[in-house]
Amino acid sequence: MASSSSSGLTFKLHPLVIVNISDHYTRVKSQLNLPPSLTSTSSAATSNNNNNNSNGGENNQQKPPRVYGCVIGVQRGRTVEIFNSFELIYDPSTRSLDRSFLEKKQELYKKVFPHFYVLGWYSTGSDAQESDMHFHKALMDINESPLYVLLNPAINPAQKDLPVTIYESELHVIDGVPQLIFVRSSYTIETVEAERISVDHVAHLKPSGGSAATQLAAQLTGIHSAIKMLNSRIRVVHQYLVGMQKGDIPCESSLLRQVSSLLRRLPAIESEKFQDDLLMEYKDTLLITYLAMFTNCSSTMNELVDKFNTAYDRHSRRGGRTAFI
Amino acid sequence: MEIEEKQAEVIDHFVKQVSAQKGSALGSVFVEATSHPSLFAFSEILAVPTVAELEGTDNSVHLEMLRLFAHGTWSDYKRNSGKFPQLVPDQVLKLKQLTVLTLAETKKVLSYDQLMRELDVTNVRELEDFLINDCMYAGLVRGKLDQLQRYFEVQFAAGRDLRPGQLGSMIQTLSNWLATSDNLLVTIQDKIKWADTMSELDKKHRKELEDRVMEVKKAVSVKTASRPILTSKGSMKSTLNLVE
Repeated sequence: MASSSSSGLTFKLHPLVIVNISDHYTRVKSQLNLPPSLTSTSSAATSNNNNNNSNGGENNQQKPPRVYGCVIGVQRGRTVEIFNSFELIYDPSTRSLDRSFLEKKQELYKKVFPHFYVLGWYSTGSDAQESDMHFHKALMDINESPLYVLLNPAINPAQKDLPVTIYESELHVIDGVPQLIFVRSSYTIETVEAERISVDHVAHLKPSGGSAATQLAAQLTGIHSAIKMLNSRIRVVHQYLVGMQKGDIPCESSLLRQVSSLLRRLPAIESEKFQDDLLMEYKDTLLITYLAMFTNCSSTMNELVDKFNTAYDRHSRRGGRTAFI
Repeated sequence: MEIEEKQAEVIDHFVKQVSAQKGSALGSVFVEATSHPSLFAFSEILAVPTVAELEGTDNSVHLEMLRLFAHGTWSDYKRNSGKFPQLVPDQVLKLKQLTVLTLAETKKVLSYDQLMRELDVTNVRELEDFLINDCMYAGLVRGKLDQLQRYFEVQFAAGRDLRPGQLGSMIQTLSNWLATSDNLLVTIQDKIKWADTMSELDKKHRKELEDRVMEVKKAVSVKTASRPILTSKGSMKSTLNLVE
């Protein structure tokens, strides 16, 4: 039921929202304590807090739980920027939305961020469903055209982009009856400096950080993946050119010109000055490491000598017979 | 690659014009095309069949001129100026811009002397004005001008039309690039493995030493005489730090 949106709004999504939604989902899922084999007794260990089960928990907990919440942000003209989100209590079986909780949360957020207001709601799942429309309509009294942010929690290693989709509601005439349906919209990710730092940090996370070797390995791994990506892109261009030479692909001059201008940028840095600077820095680093090593060794030697002296002085107290030094 | 986008419309316009006309009328179209301020790519026009028909006829001079603009430089023009029709000032300017692009093809660092020779410019001021106003602001090249050492360092240069043999060399360059990056990837993998093995060895070594120290400490608590123990402790400490 999702086609592409025609409202002309541009959406900007902050990574905080994505992290919030996935965190909410993970908390709920881990609190449910799903055993690997599905039993219906596990469903009893649910819902003390903001838990939401999609099928009321009667049958087996095979389906992962759906979580619901609200997204807030700013709308300036045609640009909608989604900054933050919070959880909501919603029971899909009874279709009841806890209004007082929502209003209380709204008030709290208004105090801290006076400019933000409720832009829509979020949920998890693989696709937008009919039952979501009820929640959507329930929110329509707060915001006349709410957004629906859907996160797909299934981990798909082959997938390259984010499993987040934003839906808007549009009034379409279907079989003569005007109905609200969900239409997909595109969005961009927008980051504040603080968000960028934290996302960067998480991306470089290594399980047992700290010692020099793992830091080196982490940095090398980063470089490695960057070069791998560059490599695959160059390969694509190469295959394209080979195909063009063989005649499989029609010659397109403007692309060829762009490729030739690109190749002219290689080698990227080649001057003599660069080599000199590089060697100088390299030698400086080596020298400093060497110096540090020397200092370490001499201090250890010093300690050793002191211990030796103390040890031997004890047994030759009289006479000032100084061992070593 | 903004130049390509800017040129795309102009190229389409001229291709349509060229395919609509024939013979000597094409000559005037060529002059118009080569004097157009934002058109630097002529291979699409050259590819139109009506243009290829001009070969060998009386109007082949125009075809030669178009080819000159596609692949040649200002010095080519000067050497064989008999073959080509007279150029208007706009065309002269364009040919010089294209000459700079060709020079940037082979070397990244262009000396002022060479540029002045190729472009028939006598003083540095004029050369720099030409480079700044006509090449950099037009978006053809990007780079740094070093007046003290008298050279122009090119960081980016737009592409010219390809000669038929250049495709092969481009593919060669790309394969070299690929091979280098593949090797680099392998080297990085090895380095990562090396770093991991070294840290493993180091940890093992430390653990061994710790175990030995523990043993010795237990021996001390059993024995009362302590003379040989301290020295071995000190030597163990030094071996610990020397291994880095």
